[in-house]
Amino acid sequence: MIALDVSIILIAIACVASTYRMLAGPTEADRAIAGDLLLFGVIGLIALFGIRAASTFTFDIVLIASVVGFLGALSLARALTRGKR
Amino acid sequence: MTILTIIGNVLIAAGALVFTTAALGLLRFPDAYTRISAVGTAGGIGIILVVTGALLHQPTIPDVIKVLLIIALQLTTSAIGSIAIARSAYLVRTPLRRSSYNELTENTDDNERPG
Repeated sequence: MIALDVSIILIAIACVASTYRMLAGPTEADRAIAGDLLLFGVIGLIALFGIRAASTFTFDIVLIASVVGFLGALSLARALTRGKR
Repeated sequence: MTILTIIGNVLIAAGALVFTTAALGLLRFPDAYTRISAVGTAGGIGIILVVTGALLHQPTIPDVIKVLLIIALQLTTSAIGSIAIARSAYLVRTPLRRSSYNELTENTDDNERPG
């Protein structure tokens, strides 16, 4: 269990760092990239907390979240160019 | 603690370290294009390592199928998302930092300036 806790703390540190980059990033592209990494980190945290709570629906949620994450990345890319391709 | 749990712990720790290196790159790299390269790596391999390690804690047959689906989707889509964001960043003319280092000058501000 100690490895799970250490991994949760490491991914939480990564989420905090990407939040800092999202708030402070000099350009809009930096903010979009930080949002991408934040979403990946949240998917990892969902998987680890699901294992820690011994939930049976963990991988369903992770599957949906990864598909939504792909759509989110494409939406960020589209919003960055203001709708033009 | 079985052998599968130990392997799962090792995979989860490796995935968490991949995430941490991506966050370090996000903080320390000079411009947006190098940052997107760090994040694209973490999104592909970090999620796969964490989810595979999480599967090895309670392996059941339906979860194995879901994890295989997650791995296939993540490998195909994370790189496409990163490339789409990088292409949009190039299209809106995000500045590209040319890395050069002049070690003969004593003025350290010259070395920090992109150009």
